Amino acid sequence: MIIFEIARNNLLASRRRTLFLGTALFGVTLLFVLLLSLTAGVTDNLIRGATAVSSGHVNIAGYYKSSPTDSQALVTNVDTLKAEARQALPDAVVVIDRLRGWGKIIADRGSVQTGINGIAFDDEADLFSMLTLAPAKDYRENPANPEETRGNFADLQKPNTILLFAGQAKLLKAEVGDSVTLRTETLKGATNTADVTVVAIARDLGLLSGFASFVPKQAVIDLYQFKPGVSGVVQIYLKDIKRSTAAMNELRAHLAKKGYAQLEHDAQPFFIKLLQTVPGEDWTGAKLDVTTWEDEGAFLVQIINGLKAVSLALVMLLAFVIVVGISNTMTIAVRERTREIGTLRAIGMNRSSILMLFLLEAAILGIVASGAGGLAGAGIAAAINAAAIRVDVDAMRIVLLSDTLHLVPRVVDVVIAVAVLTFVSAAAAFFPALRAARITPVTAMQSAE
Amino acid sequence: MSAIIEVQGVIKDYPLGKLSVRALHGVDLTIARGEFTAIAGPSGSGKTTLLNLIGCVDVPTEGTVVFDGAVTSKLSDRELTRLRLEKLGFIFQSFNLVAVLSVFQNVELPLLLQGGIGNDERKKRVVDILDRVGIGKYIGHRPNELSGGQRQRVAIARALVTRPKLVLADEPTANLDSVTGGQILGLMKELNQQQGVTFLFSTHDHRVMELAGRIVQVQDGRVVDDGKQGKTPTSASAAAPTPAAH
Repeated sequence: MIIFEIARNNLLASRRRTLFLGTALFGVTLLFVLLLSLTAGVTDNLIRGATAVSSGHVNIAGYYKSSPTDSQALVTNVDTLKAEARQALPDAVVVIDRLRGWGKIIADRGSVQTGINGIAFDDEADLFSMLTLAPAKDYRENPANPEETRGNFADLQKPNTILLFAGQAKLLKAEVGDSVTLRTETLKGATNTADVTVVAIARDLGLLSGFASFVPKQAVIDLYQFKPGVSGVVQIYLKDIKRSTAAMNELRAHLAKKGYAQLEHDAQPFFIKLLQTVPGEDWTGAKLDVTTWEDEGAFLVQIINGLKAVSLALVMLLAFVIVVGISNTMTIAVRERTREIGTLRAIGMNRSSILMLFLLEAAILGIVASGAGGLAGAGIAAAINAAAIRVDVDAMRIVLLSDTLHLVPRVVDVVIAVAVLTFVSAAAAFFPALRAARITPVTAMQSAE
Repeated sequence: MSAIIEVQGVIKDYPLGKLSVRALHGVDLTIARGEFTAIAGPSGSGKTTLLNLIGCVDVPTEGTVVFDGAVTSKLSDRELTRLRLEKLGFIFQSFNLVAVLSVFQNVELPLLLQGGIGNDERKKRVVDILDRVGIGKYIGHRPNELSGGQRQRVAIARALVTRPKLVLADEPTANLDSVTGGQILGLMKELNQQQGVTFLFSTHDHRVMELAGRIVQVQDGRVVDDGKQGKTPTSASAAAPTPAAH
């Protein structure tokens, strides 16, 4: 305890030095927490985007091949499959199915490729809780009223309607109320079209929403001429999303036991499998494919990993500067306090306590300064998030998977940042502390002469 | 009276670049328990080197130093540290108090390092010794809030609080005015007489030497007079002044 007191008091006595190093540690921890919050925010965007637009926590998709070279996204006897899912996963909260297709939306002044999701409006409370109507400025050039929102999600209950995202509406130059044409290819190779009315334009949900549109189930059934009982995917939402992978494995085992043919697990989104993987496989008939939300957003995980790598590199660089600063400062402190060290050794303090004294000094500095930095970082992140700052640069939107700056400050990230910076601080003091511990007590007597 | 210190044929060399400088040339010296001994000599004569060797903060190049029956050159660093903590007290010329601790904490420090003493007992011993050296009312002060004499009294309290067998003082009055120096030496002498603690201090001040029971003369790294024929511990020539804070 007395060692702690000496360490703390020495820090207070060297105010300027402590303030300088403390400010540096404060700044680096603050930045670290902001970057971790940004990464958590992007991950959150991915989860929200993936689970709202294209995936449940766990999915049972199906592929049908009438010849080795074709591929259709469908599952048969969907109600039986949903029952199997509920039986295999008692912790499933919501089990729904969507029809899936891939085609082109054609408007008067543009066209885009899109995934087509056939939904039952009443089943999709979670989806619509995450969607908001886009203001006019998101998809229209120079709108008279930029914040104006038009349309109504509930109109998707009407036949031959479509919900677009702002990015698609901008490319199509489409408005709520416009009629657009959906063009797809049926199982038998025929091109089919349907005219649908745009009933709502939603805010973008990152990159994923650029490849998704929503129509009533019947519209997809008509386009593909599906028989009753056919759907595209069963989406299962669990109590705890962290159980997704375990739940997927349990469901795979359950379905295998029930005799369902399945694709090997492949962490790719559905449309890659539909357009590339499955058509290239040499089999015909039907197979199920059980995936998690992470599989469906696998291509976006790379963005998160890249962001993590950049954050880590930046923090490591700054931590290196901190290490050099603390190491140099501690070396000077040891030189200045030779007499104190010698005195302590002479009156009976052992080497390990001297070592501990200097390590503790750095650790106290580290935990106080980085603790303050961590809390400040979390506060700033929360403030930025609350401000919902819009990002107008498209490239940034792709990286952030959102059109607003979304940061999620988490206690665990603050703890990690503080622990890392405190460790770095103490580690930087190790060699100067070792040098201090090696000073012989005779130094005290000599310095007194 | 049995010897607490036996210095036998001690040589101490210090490296100086590629050369070696001999600070002590075969010193023999015996200090008995309860003595109040001065090591006198001019600057550079080897007084401090001798005190360092006796105080187990350094080891001889040749010869042996036996402290309370232990040959110091055969002890490990850990054993020497323990020996200093439990059996030795140090008083330095420049006081060498820990600047960031209060008077109380400075004196408490060796007891905390020793361990095994309860809070109440530790506090009582610290307060008692501070009162004993006449500095009790400055208990919460920092060293920089005290005069030189007051600081040295704190140093004496720190040296004595562990009830050591030997207190070493290196020029304890060198940074004090003559009146304060006299009072400090008087205090040390009084503690020597009342508590039986052995004191060994270096000085080149003749007025200070007058208080010593025995004066060991060192010159050019040799003991030229071990004082055994002169003063004895029981024949101090000056009376000890009453302790008071200055």
